[in-house]
Amino acid sequence: MTETITDVVDDAARGVIDRKIFWDRSIYELELERVFARSWVFLAHESQLPQSGSFLTTQIGSDNVIVVRGRDKVIRAFLNTCPHRGNRICHAEAGRTRGGFVCNYHGWSFGLDGKLKGMHETDAYRAEPDFDFADHGLVPVAQVDAYKGLVFGCLDPDAPTLDDYLGDFRWYLDILLDNQDGGTEFVGGCIRSIIDCNWKIPAENFAGDALHAGWTHDSGAQAMLNTSVPEWWGNESYHVNVNGHGWEFNLDLVGNASTFGDKRLNRWIRSREAEVTERLGETRSRMLGAFSSVTLFPNMSFLPGQQSFRVWQPLSPTKTELKTWVLVNKALPDELKEVYRKGAMMTFSPSGVFEMDDGENWEYSTRANEGVVSRRQKLHYGLGAGSRIDHPILPGNVYRNQLNDANQRAYYKRWADLMAAETWAEVPES
Amino acid sequence: MSATTGSDAQVRHEVEQFLYREARLLDEENYGGWLELLTDDFHYWVPGVENRGRKDPLGSYPVGHMAYFDDSKSDLERRVKRFTSDTAWSENPPTKQFHSITNIELMPAEGEDDLTVHSLTTVYRGRYEGTGDILYGRREDRLRRVESELRLARRMVVISHNILQSKNLNTFL
Repeated sequence: MTETITDVVDDAARGVIDRKIFWDRSIYELELERVFARSWVFLAHESQLPQSGSFLTTQIGSDNVIVVRGRDKVIRAFLNTCPHRGNRICHAEAGRTRGGFVCNYHGWSFGLDGKLKGMHETDAYRAEPDFDFADHGLVPVAQVDAYKGLVFGCLDPDAPTLDDYLGDFRWYLDILLDNQDGGTEFVGGCIRSIIDCNWKIPAENFAGDALHAGWTHDSGAQAMLNTSVPEWWGNESYHVNVNGHGWEFNLDLVGNASTFGDKRLNRWIRSREAEVTERLGETRSRMLGAFSSVTLFPNMSFLPGQQSFRVWQPLSPTKTELKTWVLVNKALPDELKEVYRKGAMMTFSPSGVFEMDDGENWEYSTRANEGVVSRRQKLHYGLGAGSRIDHPILPGNVYRNQLNDANQRAYYKRWADLMAAETWAEVPES
Repeated sequence: MSATTGSDAQVRHEVEQFLYREARLLDEENYGGWLELLTDDFHYWVPGVENRGRKDPLGSYPVGHMAYFDDSKSDLERRVKRFTSDTAWSENPPTKQFHSITNIELMPAEGEDDLTVHSLTTVYRGRYEGTGDILYGRREDRLRRVESELRLARRMVVISHNILQSKNLNTFL
């Protein structure tokens, strides 16, 4: 397997992708170990856990996780499985608990700090000479940290810190997470759906696939804008990537935001341009709602402007759960928060006029790769092979023209590096 | 019972025929005809369903949270515009769909011309080869008599899962 993966690493850097990474079960199992059990994976926005005892349940790869705010207000994460018989502890997807979590099976109960507090017939265990309650708490997620409201977890204690993992990509993340005093929040609720596709296909799409927008989403643009997706910005548009994270964008300020067809939103973004310029500089101020898309390696994506944040949760090599939220500035007037909530549903949700055509493509991209002869032909990710530039302002690896496969190549390079490495120490800089 | 111009049995028959006709228009992708059944102030809400504990004060589908649809009639007209576009790739070849409406219950509503109608909708969708799915929803409709014809003034549909077991909702429930 490792030998095969090494081939894939070399190929990814050249823009040649082996189709089997989208359906092969053994590759998928290795991904769960080497990508998901080692990467920083999105868990929650802090605003989803407003009080002590606020919790939600989620997954890191194949592991179920509880995320909970403790009495000391610290957000912690634990594997959502009982140390006794392995049963899932928490079945609600979100809520608030005063005391903690109790397993349905034998009543083993755990505090907000994950410590074992007791169980049904506790005295039987107290009488056991070798049973120490301190040894049987919930397994904590090895590292939990936040970047400006976004909480991530990592199951590998030897992984780099979150700050190192994000690296210079934080400079770009600030465009959405830190463009106004007061920070950000998620609108309530999460829309979840199932796509019969490999999880990497949507992740790479958001990392860099500006090319599909004008073609795949023509019908959505006709519905929302009465026109096709606007013309390209050519050399004034970019791919940037850091550690496999990718951001493709132009500098048109409201290209994505315009797709809601609500002029109030465009006016608001334009009205803040001077303020955001002062805070983040001119380049980043022009990216606020621009025609753009982003993937944080491995499986979180978002759309500036539409403010749709999503996670591609792998369920099998050919099945992915999509979770979507909407991110807004806390200081945004309620009327405009509502514009974002409704606009995200209208455009990028399972009922959205843009997203409907994505799922169809991704499902059949996954399925058609399986044919025993089809699989022999490798896929082309070679667009923009000579487009790398040095840029005086933009950090990270920068490529001219957002019609490019550079971020997809970088995404698969990072994926392949992790897949080939026995430990984090072997993962090369990217 | 309000919105009645005849006996309860006659009104019930009329409501059933209205819902069946509406279902057929959706099955036939006659979205223009479907829109004509809606009042101008129509509101369509398909909330996201959340698995929360019984004691959670937010309940299973909090107002103001994310939804599949939270639409006015003009929002729906935009969606229909996409459906009828030549470049709506995932509609070509067309999805085969059948709306089955059952458990129809009539109840009085506040307005003199209005009726509350509960029902279940089961939507079978066939895509390519063996692909497709079944969607389940419980509807609560507000029907209104406008110039002697029934029109749909409001619809809420609660689906059966907290995770939509499909990639999209390229239909109305």
